[in-house]
Amino acid sequence: MSAHNDGLPDDPAGVALMIHALVDGELDAAAALAVERRIAADPALAAEHARIVALQTVVSGLPRLDVREDFKARIAAIGTAGMEKALPGPAPAARVPPAHRAVHRFGAFDWRALAASIVVTAVLASGATQWMMLSRAPDSFAAAVANGHRRSLLAAGPVDVVSSDRHTVKPWLDGRVGLSPPAPDLASDGFALLGGRVEVIADQPVPALVYRHREHLITLVAAPEETGSTAGPVDLSAGGFSLVHWSDSAFSYWAISDTERPELDDFVNRFRAAAAR
Amino acid sequence: MPGDATVLNHEAATERFREVVLPHLADALALARWLTGNAADAEDVVQEACLKAHAGIAGYAGGNARAWLLAIVRNASYSWLARNRPRSVVAVGDLSDLDDVTAAYVAGLPDTDNPEASLIAKADTAALEAAIAALPHQFRETVVLRDVNGLSYREIATLLGVPLGTVMSRLARARGLLISQLGRAP
Repeated sequence: MSAHNDGLPDDPAGVALMIHALVDGELDAAAALAVERRIAADPALAAEHARIVALQTVVSGLPRLDVREDFKARIAAIGTAGMEKALPGPAPAARVPPAHRAVHRFGAFDWRALAASIVVTAVLASGATQWMMLSRAPDSFAAAVANGHRRSLLAAGPVDVVSSDRHTVKPWLDGRVGLSPPAPDLASDGFALLGGRVEVIADQPVPALVYRHREHLITLVAAPEETGSTAGPVDLSAGGFSLVHWSDSAFSYWAISDTERPELDDFVNRFRAAAAR
Repeated sequence: MPGDATVLNHEAATERFREVVLPHLADALALARWLTGNAADAEDVVQEACLKAHAGIAGYAGGNARAWLLAIVRNASYSWLARNRPRSVVAVGDLSDLDDVTAAYVAGLPDTDNPEASLIAKADTAALEAAIAALPHQFRETVVLRDVNGLSYREIATLLGVPLGTVMSRLARARGLLISQLGRAP
């Protein structure tokens, strides 16, 4: 191969870059002309050029994700007052699997069972908080989580935003607390997302998700994990409450419920698996 | 939001946010889809990015709205990955290995025309998607920004904060790896 006098690089890698630039329309007319001449004179370069063109054609022709109308509406609603009002709780039926849809309405489960659970919890809980504060001094956070859970059971509703659609819950929390934990849909596992609320713990607003398992409510509080450390589930259960704490690199989680420990463990395992997915 | 009012009235900010962001949602989804390797979560990632974009709209100084949004989507994608797949974000600290691979590839180009180009042209979507997903992330983001999002070299260089030459070599390496993957006879 003789030396070229066209101002292009002489090393093969340099020429390859110029061929890519030609295909990408990044060369001015003079440089493009010079590269085209090189290609015309060298079958190996012509083959490379053909491969790059073929590749670019297939890559740019890859199917694109549709911008669904409800997604676009959700984005358009960011920043509007009462964002959640612009987002009707249940997503359009078309994209919600039937199992999911079944839990949208509160009437879909037995209120009496839930009410019974609340009464039992209220009685048991009065001792629980005290126990936690006494037995584990550093766990005042746990006590606050327990208090929040208990208060929620006595309040008119356990959640401030009622939706089984995480696409509604997450932005709602984001808009109020500035962060939102993963809110996986575990309805098919028997844990239906009811909604979310904001807890104030140690003077910090933190997001809380509420799931329902049979007639029990599970409150999941997620505080940002400052240190980035991770910890496996630790059992802090006491006095009628099952309480499990764990953390991943993003959040420190507290799951509390009056359900049985094995069931709460099951929830924790499924939540962690779904959040890590 | 306290403080925002002094910079830009909230409603005006929201209006501007829509003007800037909504036309580029398809590009945003495409980038998120490829960077996270996951179509199902692309909407979540873009939504997160859009919340950040809304919060930061006052800092958008005009100019290339698409590149501005894509830069935010890119950050959101990587933080999503770090949060959800801590192990999948493999830092390619040493790119020199890949330099060698690419150099060997370039040097070993066959002299005659060959059926590779037509194999590539006929590559099915699944094979292509798998090949792109298997790229080291610096290469993947470069080729996606160029060939899927259609950004210019200079826009990509600005977005990634790397020199133009780095964009060019990453793009050439990314395509070289895809070509060797797809051009291989089955």
